Amino acid sequence: MDIVFSEASVSFAGRPALHPLSLRLFERRIGIIGLNGSGKTTFARLINGLLRPTIGQVTVGGLDTVKDEAAVRGRAGFIFQNPQHQMILPVLSEDIAFGLKNRRLSKEEISARTDAVLERFRITHLAGRRIHELSGGETQLAAIASVLVTGPDVLILDEPTNQLDLKNRRLIEETIAGLPEQAIVITHDLPLLDGFDRVLLFHEGRLEADAAPQEAVRTYRRIVGC
Amino acid sequence: MLTGLDIAGDTPLHRASARLKLILLFLAAVALFLVHSPWALAAAAIIAVGLYASTGIAPGEAVRRVRFVLFTVLLVAVANYIFHSLDDALAVLFRLGALVLLAAAVTATTTISAFMDEITRLLRPLERFGFVRAADVSLAVGLVLRFVPEILARYGDIREAHRARGLRVRPLGVLVPLIILTLKDADTIAMAIDARAFRRQ
Amino acid sequence: MSTRDLVLVALFAAIIVALGLVPPFTLGFIPVPITAQSLGVMLAGCILGARRGAAAVLLVLLLVVIGLPVLSGGRGGLAVFVGPTAGYLAGWVAGAFVTGLIAERLVRETQPELAQFLGFLAAAIVGGIGVVYLFGIAWLSYSSGKAFMEIAMASLIFIPGDLIKAFIAMLAGRAVLAGYPLLPART
Ligand SMILES: Nc1ncnc2c1ncn2[C@@H]1O[C@H](COP(=O)(O)OP(=O)(O)O)[C@@H](O)[C@H]1O
Ligand SMILES: [Mg+2]
Repeated sequence: MDIVFSEASVSFAGRPALHPLSLRLFERRIGIIGLNGSGKTTFARLINGLLRPTIGQVTVGGLDTVKDEAAVRGRAGFIFQNPQHQMILPVLSEDIAFGLKNRRLSKEEISARTDAVLERFRITHLAGRRIHELSGGETQLAAIASVLVTGPDVLILDEPTNQLDLKNRRLIEETIAGLPEQAIVITHDLPLLDGFDRVLLFHEGRLEADAAPQEAVRTYRRIVGC
Repeated sequence: MLTGLDIAGDTPLHRASARLKLILLFLAAVALFLVHSPWALAAAAIIAVGLYASTGIAPGEAVRRVRFVLFTVLLVAVANYIFHSLDDALAVLFRLGALVLLAAAVTATTTISAFMDEITRLLRPLERFGFVRAADVSLAVGLVLRFVPEILARYGDIREAHRARGLRVRPLGVLVPLIILTLKDADTIAMAIDARAFRRQ
Repeated sequence: MSTRDLVLVALFAAIIVALGLVPPFTLGFIPVPITAQSLGVMLAGCILGARRGAAAVLLVLLLVVIGLPVLSGGRGGLAVFVGPTAGYLAGWVAGAFVTGLIAERLVRETQPELAQFLGFLAAAIVGGIGVVYLFGIAWLSYSSGKAFMEIAMASLIFIPGDLIKAFIAMLAGRAVLAGYPLLPART
């Protein structure tokens, strides 16, 4: 899926969070790195229309994120920095089915798709569990499942391994590596980027590097000075 | 923790549709207020006890559920006895008592999803005028159930934070951060709902 | 209603439900414990305003109707809507609305603190007590047979406790306004 930024920029109350940026993303695995507050989340939110560019334009598969907001949301799935916040209904299976509501699907179709995605991520045993009782790793898997059930073409993950222990970090890394979908991953977990096609480095709201993983990480270390 | 008050079973009341039960409850309420004879009302109360018992609810649970409301009914009846007559007191006692038990019987035999289906159907005419969307109502119900445990956990955290800092736990000191911290999540949650394109036009 | 409004309504309803589940507050200077749930009704109007505040309370009552034990003391189900005190529950919705209406008119973020306090206090007393009792006593009188006058008078013994709640709602409403303003202004 082609994601195209055309001179897109974002300011909050006149303060620039993302300076004008033009680029085209089409690779299967794209990483985004940078310090806290460097504009990574702002950049990612532009892609599925959760945020509108203050100036400029962003398109996903040829659709404008402002004009075709609803269609873009269907194509670009988003996993929040705190996945706990994106689980909306009390029980996991209900929450996964939630994304399929209002789409003119039959009840049977909804439950079949829900079961399939639970199976895909091997979390069928969690189907009836309450959201607030899931562990960090389980919540992250559940959030990914709840977004992928709607069949987006590209998945954006905002710091998916951020709050996880070593074991769950590995689990999510493997899950991401195995996704057939295109994925854009914001992360501070630099080893995760091995094998990625392209890595963007943000610094103070500017795209500071756009390169292969090793080179982008090298630039990152040089800028930060450690 | 927040589980419904319906009791699993297959009694005639369980099999009756939610709509039928609600209509009958409404008609019973109107009828009970039209009748004034204590004897007729006593008969109604006996029937109501029978219906409530027919739901298969355990006796202890049956009493626990209605005791508070029945206590207020009793207070009202006693006031009628003191200031008026025994007949007036009995009429009120049996009328309201019967009504409370009938309502409890409907609640005990109707699942939450059956109620929600009925409410969705009732909202459909309003939906046509653009007042409220049925899908939004069920989403809101789900959101409440989702966030009550989280708010309770936060309540515990705030109290603990007070104690950790050696502060006395006062109602305001808990209430204000609880409300602000909870409502501040609204933006993220709204964004999560929009991200999943639930409220598409 | 925007998605954000819908979420605010649901979150506030969840707060009101949670307030029914936590142990009652005790204040140093009065001996009676205060249940926080009816305080939540005043707060809904003071914090969210008329429309969203009333919607939050209505949502709580909807949960009660469908059989969830979300009223304080674990009460719920249709039985509470046919008892003698059912009118107070209906009064909650109207009360939150009127509280919000008054708060929206009287309180501004830019006002001095004292004016905000007085605005919230007036809103909580008129909406959260006056309107709630109007509905409560109306049904109490209708449903309770011949002794309605005496019973209506007796119900007034709860007013002092409710005045304390209005006072807490005033303090909390103003503190939330300072920390996270949501109240729409109305002229
Ligand atoms: N909703 C917002 N309102 C105001 N400022 C914001 C908002 N979101 C982000 N910012 C600001 O924009 C900058 C970039 O933030 P963000 O994209 O979240 O950074 P990152 O995800 O890289 O940590 C920060 O300075 C942040 O404070
Ligand atoms: Mg971020």
